[in-house]
Amino acid sequence: MLTQFEHFAVTEMMGSTDNPPRANGSLCFGSEWERKAFGMALALAKDGFFEWDDFRDELISTISAWEAAHPVDRSSWNYYDQFLAALEKAVAKSGVIDADEIKAAFAA
Amino acid sequence: MMDRFHYRQDREAYSAARVKALEALLIKKGVITDKTVDTVLDFFETKMGPFNGAKIVARAWVDPAFKDRLVADTPKAIAELQLPEGMAGAEGEHMRAVANAPHVHNLIICTLCSCYPWPVLGLPPYWYKDPTFRSRAAREPRAVLTEFGLAVPDAVEIKVWDSSAQIRWFVVPERPAGTDGLSEAELETLVTPEAMMGVAVARAA
Repeated sequence: MLTQFEHFAVTEMMGSTDNPPRANGSLCFGSEWERKAFGMALALAKDGFFEWDDFRDELISTISAWEAAHPVDRSSWNYYDQFLAALEKAVAKSGVIDADEIKAAFAA
Repeated sequence: MMDRFHYRQDREAYSAARVKALEALLIKKGVITDKTVDTVLDFFETKMGPFNGAKIVARAWVDPAFKDRLVADTPKAIAELQLPEGMAGAEGEHMRAVANAPHVHNLIICTLCSCYPWPVLGLPPYWYKDPTFRSRAAREPRAVLTEFGLAVPDAVEIKVWDSSAQIRWFVVPERPAGTDGLSEAELETLVTPEAMMGVAVARAA
């Protein structure tokens, strides 16, 4: 069956701990940076810079770590904070950009 | 590192700056362009999503003959509309519409979210894959719908359709009363994914 990568990628997340926020059948972004983080992750995986499943493993473990560190008060939870952290790790692991370069760009 | 930022707005600014830095770096390296994000998200925002289902339902409301064709041969009827390519193929080829009527209310359930009619309804809500929802909806749909805030009169039969890899169902809700003067485009705005799943009905704005 012919399936778009975008479709496959997001469907894989449904019902899992890393499923993204959504409302009325659409992805739900609280701000432009959340939308950009999501779009970049999807585009990089689509173009083969990393495997979507590897990125998701990263995201799931980032979420687990956050939950372990916030056992009671989870009011500061934001899905896309975790998503962005996982994206930075996946990008660094893929070798496209190394972690120091990401840090340097952010500091600039 | 994040602990330095105590307030949501600080974290917002911090995360926004991180994303901006990452994007700039990826563009500089030629990995992506400034159009990449829009291109990939266009799929969700304009091609495949609940707005397609809304167009199909609104057409069925204004054109009873189309509604009949939609129920009789869903992919063929959908192909009549100017919807994005791929709608009637792939996922779409297994699609079947069921129409609500004064004496019948339809409810769609599905075990695997991969069977969700995505091009028409968009992404499934959180509770949709919950095994409790699915088993209860199959067993006592009237009680489950009441919990969703939808009281279906006893005189109305409830039919439950289980989507599978073979058939992906969606509901054509009834056109709400008091919408006679509305255009097709205005009617589209009244069609929600919940109404097309059958856990709600369409209501006049």
